[in-house]
Formats: sequence, C-alpha cells, structure tokens
Amino acid sequence: MILEVQEINRVVQATILPEEASLTNADAFKEEMITIIASGVKLVIVSFENVNYIDSSFLGSLVVALKYAMPRNVDIYLVSLKPDVKNLLTLIRMDKVFRIFNNYDEAMGTLH
Amino acid sequence: MSEDLNLIEIIFGNNRHEIPGTLNLCLDHILEGAGGNPVDEATLSRVKWVIIELLTNAVKHSGERETVLKIRIDAAGIVLIKEDYGRPLVLVGQDSDKKIIWPLEKIVRPVDFPIYHNGMDSLCVRTDEAGRAIFFIEQLAEMEMPALLSDTSEHFGLLIMTKASDEFSYEFEAATGLNRFVCTFKLTSR
Repeated sequence: MILEVQEINRVVQATILPEEASLTNADAFKEEMITIIASGVKLVIVSFENVNYIDSSFLGSLVVALKYAMPRNVDIYLVSLKPDVKNLLTLIRMDKVFRIFNNYDEAMGTLH
Repeated sequence: MSEDLNLIEIIFGNNRHEIPGTLNLCLDHILEGAGGNPVDEATLSRVKWVIIELLTNAVKHSGERETVLKIRIDAAGIVLIKEDYGRPLVLVGQDSDKKIIWPLEKIVRPVDFPIYHNGMDSLCVRTDEAGRAIFFIEQLAEMEMPALLSDTSEHFGLLIMTKASDEFSYEFEAATGLNRFVCTFKLTSR
C-alpha cells in the first residue's frame, strides 16, 4: 500500500507513505489513485509530507491520475511538498498543472 | 568503484532497489570531491535529479546488467557520464512522424525535431555531424488548464535531465556498441 487514505464528505486525504516516490512504487500509486478517483469522490488531496525525492516515473503516474480524474470532475491537489520536490515540479512546470498548497488545511480552505 | 583526482567511477547493477544507495554514494563523492569549491544547494539538487533519472533510465531501458556512472568534478563544473552496452537510444517525434535509432544512417544526419512537450516546454533534439544528440528546450506559448493537461506528456525523464543540466547529450560508439549520456553542470553559471 502506497497511500494512507482518509475520506470525509467525498474529500480524500491521501498521504504517500514511502520516502521515495519512484519507479519502485509508481505503478502501485497510479492504481491506488485510480481506485480512489473511480469511487465517486470529488477531491483527492495528495500529501507528500513523507516524500524526500520523486522521479519521472512517479510524476508520470501523477499526470495519468489527473488525466483520469478531470473528465470525471474530480480534482487532485498536492500538499506538504518538501522544497526539493516542489522545486522539481516547478522546473518541469507541473506547478501549472496541479494546484499546490502548503498543507491540508490550506487546501481544505479553498472548499469553503 | 575506482577514483582518481577528478573522476569517480561507480558500477550500478541496473536494479531499481539500488537507486537510493547509489544516489547517496554519488552525492557523498560530489560533496567530498568539491573540496574547497563547495557546490551550492540549488546545483546539488539539480545534480541529484539528474542522477536519479540517469539511474532510472538505466533500469528501464538499457537491457543490460550493468551501467557505469562516471562523475568528473573540477572548478568549472560537474560532469555526469552514464555508459552501457545496452540498447541504443530510440527517439520518436512529437507527432510520431519521425523516429531515429542509433547508429544513425548518414542520410538521416543531421536531425532536429521536437520529441514531446508539456504545454510550455518543448523537448527537442538536434544531432551534430558526428551523430551526437544534443537535447534542448524550446519555449512555447503559455497555456491554461485544462488544455495544458491534454498537451502534457507523461514522460519526464529526458525533460528533467535537459532542464536540470546546462548541457545534456547522447552519443553512440558504433564500433563498440557503447551508449554514453553526458550531463554538464557549470558551477559558475547560475
């Protein structure tokens, strides 16, 4: 299991458990995300609080998940990115594709 | 692993589980090798991202049991070199109308075309007279979601290596079957 999941009112908080978001767990992450999205939720907030590094394979799975989510009217937000991870997402402009927040509370604040 | 004054050579077993340990080994040697000319945090992050992608590329694409990672450090910069005798590079164009495989036929050289893009960054390749591929980014017009997502590739490896380094290239030695990726980081450029 890659994600620790908590759902309240169709909003899922999904925390990535491994410290390395990489080739090793990218496929499992994608499958877990697709299962969550297909379950009828409206928002998945993915926390990177444990993640020390991310690679291209995991980033690809993240994009696949968003491409699966958008036609189903499901949003994916990213929260609690460590500076090194956030800087990589910014380098490849994924900060324009995903909504990124400092933490869960800030992300949840957009819902009110 | 072997070392001289400026060159570190690490054998990587093309096993995904070895990536974190090999990454740390590389970073330790870079910090040690930099000595009195310390590498700033931003550059070290860029080097780290590229090492991860070089090792991931080896696991996914080489088809060989071993890859040699060489790291050269001097006052001018850091050079990462990945060498193996596995499958040569294959590049398919953005619109799938072009495909090149090394060794290049003379009639194919030089080539210059986009490989993929993620909205605003178009990853392109250009070959020189020797058949060496040089990767570079062309900036495209700003795009907004959701069109941006539709236009975003799910492949990021070559893009990360191109954007994170100051120069990123690939060459193939036809006589020996050696594949060589080279990433250069100028220590005074940013």
